Amino acid sequence: MTTNSDTGSVFTARKFTDWATVKEALMSKKIGASFILAPMAMQLVADGVPVKIVYLGHRDGSAIVVGKDSNIQTFEDLRGKVVAVPNRFANQNLLLRKMMRERGMPFDSIETRDVPPPEHPTALQAGAVDAFIVGEPFCAKAEMDGVGRVLYFTKDIWPGFISCVLVVHDDFIREQPELVSELVSGISKSGLWLDESMDNRFDASHVVGTHFYFQKPQLLQWVLSRPVDRVTYGDLKPLRENFDEIMDLAFDTGILPRRLAFEEYVDTSFVPVGERKAWGLEALSLTEEAARLRLEPNVAPDLEKPTLPQKTPR
Amino acid sequence: MKFKVFVGALMWALSISALHVQLNVGWGSLGQRFKVMLGIERQELLVGFLPVT
Repeated sequence: MTTNSDTGSVFTARKFTDWATVKEALMSKKIGASFILAPMAMQLVADGVPVKIVYLGHRDGSAIVVGKDSNIQTFEDLRGKVVAVPNRFANQNLLLRKMMRERGMPFDSIETRDVPPPEHPTALQAGAVDAFIVGEPFCAKAEMDGVGRVLYFTKDIWPGFISCVLVVHDDFIREQPELVSELVSGISKSGLWLDESMDNRFDASHVVGTHFYFQKPQLLQWVLSRPVDRVTYGDLKPLRENFDEIMDLAFDTGILPRRLAFEEYVDTSFVPVGERKAWGLEALSLTEEAARLRLEPNVAPDLEKPTLPQKTPR
Repeated sequence: MKFKVFVGALMWALSISALHVQLNVGWGSLGQRFKVMLGIERQELLVGFLPVT
């Protein structure tokens, strides 16, 4: 997010620490747009809050994490355990229910507990929960701190997993569509840039970690490189089939009171025309090992900067 | 006579425009748009986020 876009518009990022405050700020128009949980956006619309999902924040980028020395090895081992989720209206919560349903497990076979995302690693360490499912970088933090072990990346159990989406208040869509379009275009370009090279990802880790997230850049580097498809940014158009699946799951499991039509809560008119993945992740994959070594300089103190192959547009 | 019709039409147009701004647009919002158009101010959008992916 920049405070000085190409055309002179100002996009100011405002950090929140819990979802309830984000929701309130959006409802009262203290903010015009926000990244929020996908099912929460649906719930807002169901409650009559005039917002629309206009773009995705990322794909994948979540994981189920268990204690480092836990004997939990499969999803079925979570039966009878306590698992932290970011919020009742989080797609991570729906994913747990989807997996339970697929395995014939009743929904009460796992106890879920709402825990603010930054507190997930400490809750696991303190033994308050047996596992957690949340967006990055808190899964990586548990790994880096030696507290947790990834049981499943969401990319492996729900490919293209959607966690956060960009919602915009209807008033801004109506009154300042060019500004919304500019914001979406900027996010799209940033995503393609991130998926272009490992150097770009590491540069972004420094900027975001230092100026926005106030987290160690090394933590974000871990997220963006181990493995490289842990979180992806190349395909951020809100697709009907993805949201229909989330909607069905949310309604069937009692999270949402009624089904909403895709058009009621999504506006795809701001998606950049002709959007597609400009580069694959192949260029990043080739340097994954190098990226791992860069995070652990003691392993290869004289590691040279990795060189990328010639990129070919797909 | 012609002048009176012209003034009347003008007054009516101004009044209905002012009423539209008052009821539908808002004077503050209109002022903001003019400032942006004239380059005095830049358009701004506050975007909320949590430090999570």
